[in-house]
Amino acid sequence: METTTTTEGFDFKFDCKPDYGFLTVKIPNGKKLKVEAAAMASMDTNLEMKTKFKGGFKRFLSGESIFINEFTAKNGNAEIQIAPASPGDMEHVYLNNQTIYLQNTAFVASGDEVLVETKWQGFTKGFFSGESFFLIKCSGKGDLWFNSYGGIIPIDVEGDYVVDTGHIVAFTEGLTYTINRIGGYKSLFFSGEGLVCNFKGKGRVWIQTRKITPFISWIHPFRPVKNKN
Amino acid sequence: MENTIQTSTTSQLDVKFQLRPGATAAEITLKPGQKITAEGGSMIAKSTAIQMTTSTQQRKSGGIMKGLKRLVSGENFFLNHYVAPAEGGKLWLGTTHIGDMELKELHGENLIIQGGSFVACTENVSIDASWQGFKNLVSKENLFWVKASGQGTVIFNSFGAIYQIQVNGEHIVDTGHIVAFEETLAFSLTKAGKSWMSSILGGEGLVCKFKGKGIVWVQSHNSSSFGSALGPKLKPR
Repeated sequence: METTTTTEGFDFKFDCKPDYGFLTVKIPNGKKLKVEAAAMASMDTNLEMKTKFKGGFKRFLSGESIFINEFTAKNGNAEIQIAPASPGDMEHVYLNNQTIYLQNTAFVASGDEVLVETKWQGFTKGFFSGESFFLIKCSGKGDLWFNSYGGIIPIDVEGDYVVDTGHIVAFTEGLTYTINRIGGYKSLFFSGEGLVCNFKGKGRVWIQTRKITPFISWIHPFRPVKNKN
Repeated sequence: MENTIQTSTTSQLDVKFQLRPGATAAEITLKPGQKITAEGGSMIAKSTAIQMTTSTQQRKSGGIMKGLKRLVSGENFFLNHYVAPAEGGKLWLGTTHIGDMELKELHGENLIIQGGSFVACTENVSIDASWQGFKNLVSKENLFWVKASGQGTVIFNSFGAIYQIQVNGEHIVDTGHIVAFEETLAFSLTKAGKSWMSSILGGEGLVCKFKGKGIVWVQSHNSSSFGSALGPKLKPR
């Protein structure tokens, strides 16, 4: 796969998409890249790493925090290879003073001038992927890379669109959303669709083609049974 | 970074399979008023105006309480029915497992599908989840089978890649690898080796011997084997 050269932002390359998305970024001398903690797979020796902890201890306990490592190229350009935790797809967006919201495990890397923060959604809206009440808000200017479990497909929304909460990877700021049930009450319990997200407005939603929670439910019967003696 | 899109439009249904074969999703464009039935939990996204209702395909008879009980035991099979509004609409379907999707157009013949592999079908296809052809098959996954019949399009999925075998005569397929097959084929469960001992020690256990003429869709990976490989590494339940 060819390296993507952009006039803005860093040069980068994706490999093995969409099943095992893997990212290589070229960091120019003196520049900094933010990377999700533990996602670095390999790198040049002239990269200096610093750990940034966004949020503080209290937020750490509530799950409202992300660890980000900052890699700075010293004495020349440097290359870094980044592998997210789960197998799946990766996407790139160049933010030009725009804002994108990510599902709370989707952040992979960003340019230094992208502001990465966690955002409480409130209890009524906190059903993204069924696991977190938080979204990651990325704003400012620079590259942003995010990943998913499964493939990523962009959907352009004009008017409204319904997406299963567990299938949302990211969406642009222009969209508002509400969390609703789908169909009647029978559907709420038996449809297997649970709650859905109703997007309104004009913008883009990135969806993932697989969810990790059904996989976890599927693997459950294969676990060993506890000895009850 | 373009998607691998494969258009598989049939006369009945406009489907595009995206991101094949590992992360396949079906992008279905519904005509005004068109109806489609999909497995519970398979919806990724849809146009807001598409309406959905849920029905239970009972594998045994029983009321709603028994239905709840079966829900807990994982024995039930729920179907969601979608109806497109006057302007048509879009429906995206996905699956639990990493893998591919395939479709088959039915013209009155029957197709037997492994229960977990059924994804969706058009209006004039009926789904019977009480098919008991392989009732002796023991599996941790609570394997069941679905019979699709009628006129229309059926979509099914696989764990891993999917390939077709055109059987003419006899062919053996490991039971864990069967995705679907045409009912024109006769089948019997048998042992893979000459003796039961070699069949079990060889890890193949029960296999299915197909006889006659027809197509079998086979998946490259066996989900039970994958589960058995991961399970012992997990904490006891």
